[in-house]
Amino acid sequence: MRRLFADRLVLVTGVIVMLMSIAFALLRMAEG
Amino acid sequence: MLLHTYNVRGAAWLILYLFFVLAPLFALLTGLHPPARDFWTEFSAAIGYAGLAIMGLQFGLTARFRYVTEPWGEDVIYHFHRQISLLAVGLVVAHPIILFIERPGLIALLNSIRAPWRARFAAVSVYSLIALVVMALWRVKLKIKYETWHLTHILLAIIAVTAGVLHMVGWGFYLTDDRKRALWIGLTVFWIGLLLYVRIAKPLFLLRRPYRISEVRKERGDTSTLVMQPDGHPGFRFRPGQFAWLTVWGSPFKITAHPFSFSSSAAATDGRVEMTIRNLGDFTSEIHQVPVGKRVYLDGPYGAFTIGHPADMHVLIAGGIGITPMMSMIRTLADRRDTRPVVLLYGSEDWESITFREELEALKARLDLTVIYVLTNPSEGWTGERGFMTAEVFKRHLPQPYAEHEYFICGPNVMMDAIEKALGEMHVPMSKYHSERYSFV
Repeated sequence: MRRLFADRLVLVTGVIVMLMSIAFALLRMAEG
Repeated sequence: MLLHTYNVRGAAWLILYLFFVLAPLFALLTGLHPPARDFWTEFSAAIGYAGLAIMGLQFGLTARFRYVTEPWGEDVIYHFHRQISLLAVGLVVAHPIILFIERPGLIALLNSIRAPWRARFAAVSVYSLIALVVMALWRVKLKIKYETWHLTHILLAIIAVTAGVLHMVGWGFYLTDDRKRALWIGLTVFWIGLLLYVRIAKPLFLLRRPYRISEVRKERGDTSTLVMQPDGHPGFRFRPGQFAWLTVWGSPFKITAHPFSFSSSAAATDGRVEMTIRNLGDFTSEIHQVPVGKRVYLDGPYGAFTIGHPADMHVLIAGGIGITPMMSMIRTLADRRDTRPVVLLYGSEDWESITFREELEALKARLDLTVIYVLTNPSEGWTGERGFMTAEVFKRHLPQPYAEHEYFICGPNVMMDAIEKALGEMHVPMSKYHSERYSFV
């Protein structure tokens, strides 16, 4: 169960990193 | 209160972790930077940087910082370390794939003979990372010795991270700015510094705090107890259920140490500690031959698997050699004259191989202790519990309400999975049970 919790942490980290990478690219686009 | 503190600290560490992954990435957008490229190229660069930061932070997760690991437990940290590496590989491999799709001309860089050094470093980084993950996931199937794997794992990690940063610096673009280049090179030095801390600074500290074997005790079930006394220093205090990394043969600089729970009482004040180790056919087969007087090294204590939570009664569930942390808990509770009931459900193969059997019977005189043996291969005439531990076994021996007790589980992974499921069926909340998987490395 605790490992399941760790798996969720990995998933959350992955989603946040992907979203932030998209935000990074969009910010660059916004600069023109 | 303790649990709450751990949760707050756990959340704080997760935020800090994400900060260390993302802040160096967004630092690239500060100050002057080159004109933007298309979305996919920028996205690809972002996941490349984030992937490398995650790889670098892997050194921190395994640096054995007690303050970092305590809120989660060492086994959870190692599980996170393993799983997050898959994310890092995914990001690092996706980085060139996206670029090759977006800009097919770059595929020529895969030819490492003609490619510039910045592309060669990228290839070295990606190949090292893939090799590292394949070896970690399938070490047993590939029949790689643990010690060989451990050394290779460290070397591949250093190569993957260093080559990754050399690729970034060589490619320039964002890192043509001196401050940003210094930031990423500084981060790499910091990550590898964490490794040097655990492999050089810490062993130097341990070298000055050796232990001596004062007794090797034969136990039931092909098991031996090492009794260790601090040699020239006061030793350390541990909490029952915690463990330490033991180096028996060689110095603390040796790459591979092995984690073992303490089996002795945490109430001992002379620094003496005991570890009870079963012969599992690997290096543990030599434990019974360790000579008295031998110098050994202990790096510890570690682990969040410990008593101290408010509880009406302690339910200890042990499978095989998973009895060792439980024994430390029972001995400590007896030494502290704890009056709360303790129920030990102890899975073993047969009556003769029950480690600590006689002492457990004797401890019943000092503690409100009930021991239920669950044997998988009992002799004829055995009238006690047999088979595996299930919700039915628990319900037969534990008083209601089940959710009020504090549960501690230690044993083989398959047993722990089954018990966690059984406790779930009994509506025991996750906060009320604690487990430690001693096969986390």
